[in-house]
Amino acid sequence: MRRQSIHRDRITSVIRVGSSAQRIHQVTNESLRIEEGSLYPALLRMTGDKWLRAEWGTTDTGRKARFYTITPAGRRQLEEEEQRWGLLTEAVNRALRFA
Amino acid sequence: MSTLGRLWNVFRRTRIDDELRQEIETHLALIERDEQAQGSSAEQARTDARARFGSPLAYRERALEAVMATWLEHAGKEIIFASRRLVRSPVFTIAVVLTLALAIGANASIFAVVERVVLNPLPYPDSDRAIALDHGSQRLNIPAGFGLTPGLYYQYSERSRTLESVAIYQADGATLTGDGEPERIRVTRATPSLLSVMRVPPVLGRWFTDLEGVPGAPQVGVLSHGLWLRRYGHDSAILGRVVLLGGIPIRIIGVMPPSFAFPDSRVDLWIPAQVSRAMGFGLWSYQGVARLREGATITDARNELTSLIADVPRAFPGDVGALGNAQTNLIVSARTLKEATVGGVERALWMLFAAVGLVLLIACANVTNLFLVRSEVRQREVAIRGALGAGRLGVARLFLAESVLLSMTGGVLGVALASGAVRVLVRFGPANLPRLNEIRLDGVAVAYAVVLSTLAALIFGAMPVRRSGSMALALHESGRTSTASRGRHRARQVLMGAQVALALVLLIASGLLVRSFQKLRALDPGFDARSALTFSIGLPDRNYPNREAAIAAHHAILDGLNALPGVRTASASTCLPLAGGCFGNTVQVRGRVLPPNTSPPVALFRAVAGGYFEAMGMRILRGRAIERQDVERHAPVVVVDQAFVGQFFPNQNPIGEHVASNRPPRRLGESPELVWLEIVGVVSKTPIFTLVDPHPLPQLYMPMSIASVPASLLGPDVAVMSYVVRSTTPPTGLLPAVRRVVERVDRTLALAQARSLQEILDRSSAQMAFTTVLLAIAATAAVLLGVVGIYGVMSYLVTQRTGEIGVRLALGAEPRSVARMIVRQGGLVALVGIAVGLAGAFTGSRLIDSLLYGVNARDPAIFTATTVTLLGVALIACWLPARRAARLNPLDALRL
Repeated sequence: MRRQSIHRDRITSVIRVGSSAQRIHQVTNESLRIEEGSLYPALLRMTGDKWLRAEWGTTDTGRKARFYTITPAGRRQLEEEEQRWGLLTEAVNRALRFA
Repeated sequence: MSTLGRLWNVFRRTRIDDELRQEIETHLALIERDEQAQGSSAEQARTDARARFGSPLAYRERALEAVMATWLEHAGKEIIFASRRLVRSPVFTIAVVLTLALAIGANASIFAVVERVVLNPLPYPDSDRAIALDHGSQRLNIPAGFGLTPGLYYQYSERSRTLESVAIYQADGATLTGDGEPERIRVTRATPSLLSVMRVPPVLGRWFTDLEGVPGAPQVGVLSHGLWLRRYGHDSAILGRVVLLGGIPIRIIGVMPPSFAFPDSRVDLWIPAQVSRAMGFGLWSYQGVARLREGATITDARNELTSLIADVPRAFPGDVGALGNAQTNLIVSARTLKEATVGGVERALWMLFAAVGLVLLIACANVTNLFLVRSEVRQREVAIRGALGAGRLGVARLFLAESVLLSMTGGVLGVALASGAVRVLVRFGPANLPRLNEIRLDGVAVAYAVVLSTLAALIFGAMPVRRSGSMALALHESGRTSTASRGRHRARQVLMGAQVALALVLLIASGLLVRSFQKLRALDPGFDARSALTFSIGLPDRNYPNREAAIAAHHAILDGLNALPGVRTASASTCLPLAGGCFGNTVQVRGRVLPPNTSPPVALFRAVAGGYFEAMGMRILRGRAIERQDVERHAPVVVVDQAFVGQFFPNQNPIGEHVASNRPPRRLGESPELVWLEIVGVVSKTPIFTLVDPHPLPQLYMPMSIASVPASLLGPDVAVMSYVVRSTTPPTGLLPAVRRVVERVDRTLALAQARSLQEILDRSSAQMAFTTVLLAIAATAAVLLGVVGIYGVMSYLVTQRTGEIGVRLALGAEPRSVARMIVRQGGLVALVGIAVGLAGAFTGSRLIDSLLYGVNARDPAIFTATTVTLLGVALIACWLPARRAARLNPLDALRL
């Protein structure tokens, strides 16, 4: 989901799960390496919290896949989290500077 | 995510999991394609995809955990495993479930009764503030029972500050005609203020207005829900209809809700008591209820009313009744309506409640013991689980799952049992239980059963958990040893002793009650209850305006009855035994002068038709009976009972003496003219209110033709008579023929309260019978459970010590001495239990004292008999396993 905020202007709100982990990997300059399966608990929970909406569709290769769309509630949550993250990193940076 | 959503997802598990699986498959396929596109071989691509994705199974599980209440799923699994384990040991399971079902069922059903009858007997809002008003007289030495007079009603309702509202009422019976069959119904005459005392509005129409309670107002009536349903089929068009009550037209203006049963559940119709202040002090012919003002206590009310009574002569100047009554030093007796309604049965019900509570404790002790045994058998399994890393919680879950499952099954069965039991209780319960017909297994009672089951599960589920504390100990004990450790048995022995103690307490209580009941039934009622039918007939004033007309009708009916085949003799009285005082007044004996400042003695009067004593099976002890000719000749004669002789003519012959019923003077200072009646006979004493009456009132019987004429004598009213038909055939079978006889005389008359004399007698001891039977059942259950418990523990003990016993036998111990050793061990525990039980019963004897009749609550015979019985049964339960031990083959025993 962080990926989405980074590309918010450029990318539509649709994440294609099939390659999202890979993208995280790419956009973070390969510094974050996570197993792709770990997305699923998060996706399911966020769908349950109504931050994401899940719909079945078909991929360009004709396979059935689930497509997730961010909901307005999810967007609000995202902004809040971002803000919190900003505050936290700022605080950490300051602390590091004065250390 | 919300808890509810998580719970809901448990049921959607399969679907969520399937979708997830499909999604992950697609995902893996996409990665594979990706890798292949980057030039990997198909096989390499698959391996890489797995590496990139991680373990699909693990992520699926984690994803499910994120959105599902998985603990519920785990619990479900535990329950399923537990149920499989339990099904594999059916004897254990059935024993536990049945034990619990019986105990929980008994508790839930008695709780349902207690809840309705004792905790919540009055279905009126703020019923704590409703009080029953009554009066007595200090000088006449009668503490209560007078009721209220219309004059006092006005005095109280106008002046009292502690009472918010006061109402007086009067129970009556009347024949309803004018639409369909004539029917004898129960009517309550009440002042319109009854509504503001009870605060229950009609479900249909309205209650009386104050104007309708004034003498001369048009007659109106409010139906009970029961009568409305029974006679008018729920028809709301009944409002405004006119019915005939005793020949008088009455307009129906409302219907009360089913819960409104004042003064009792048998009332069919309420009509206004038409009284006015102008009527003066009046007679004690009403009963009173009132509502306390917010914040006022019953003592406040009693004090205030006492001061208001002192003011009565001034409030009713020149009123002879007011002055005369004031001179007898009236006492106000006020108690809460709840106490007045429930008083007598409350203690009995609480005792039953305690008894079934004890049974539940015994059942729990039993089940705990079974669980302990089972947990010990499984020590090794538990130890291995522990060694493999199962936490204490995991082991606890293991046992709790079983206990929850068992107790819930027991609870469900118990509720089913209780719903049947409650129906039986309602059917056979004594009629004086208030709200008896409303008792049912409601939500509260079921909730109570659920709480009991949960508690039970915690009690016997927690015991083995507590004991499976140390793993080292568990492994040590589950190893092969030939003796068990000492501490292990202590818990079981304590439980076994407790069972014996509790069972003994119940057995003694039940023994005392059974003995009381036997004594009560062995009492001589003074009449012969066998083979006699009774019923009552009321003659409406309108069609039978004077006494002569009434007597003629009664004679016509009696002639018809006496001519019926199977009838030996028929007669009638204004009042039957055990029906209450009916008519009482003070009496004078000719030639005796009362010492000054003593009040004249009170006696009860009955007006009877000829042959009444013969029909009732009463014994003539002296002189003669009242015959038909006495009635026809208006003979001024009277027959008295033993109690009368005992009080007025001790050791003398009363025949030929004269007595008179006192009358109030017409004017102050004038002495009233009395009608003297000659005593011609003495009959056996019959009970008045209850079978047991330490101070029975003297009773007088006079021919019905001389009763109830104000000019001659104050006596009972002969308009309503109770008939007694003694027959050679079963009495209730006579009813259709009797009905035809009555119809031939007057088609508008209705039979009321038709029942056998035996039923009246049985009813008088019904409450004690009820308590006795229920307590006996509880005691039997307790003893049975206790015996099963002892047997179980001792059998287990023998099994555990098989090795040891084998060694003893192999070394030459006598089988008999082995058996004695086992019995001694169990017997000692039983003896300790019995000692504790005896001490408990001895100290608790005060609690049961008021329920007993003719038996001391510490009756040594009953204490001894029950103790010996229980000890005997306990020893047999010990002896059976002991015999098995003695018969062991040492070789087999050692091989085990």
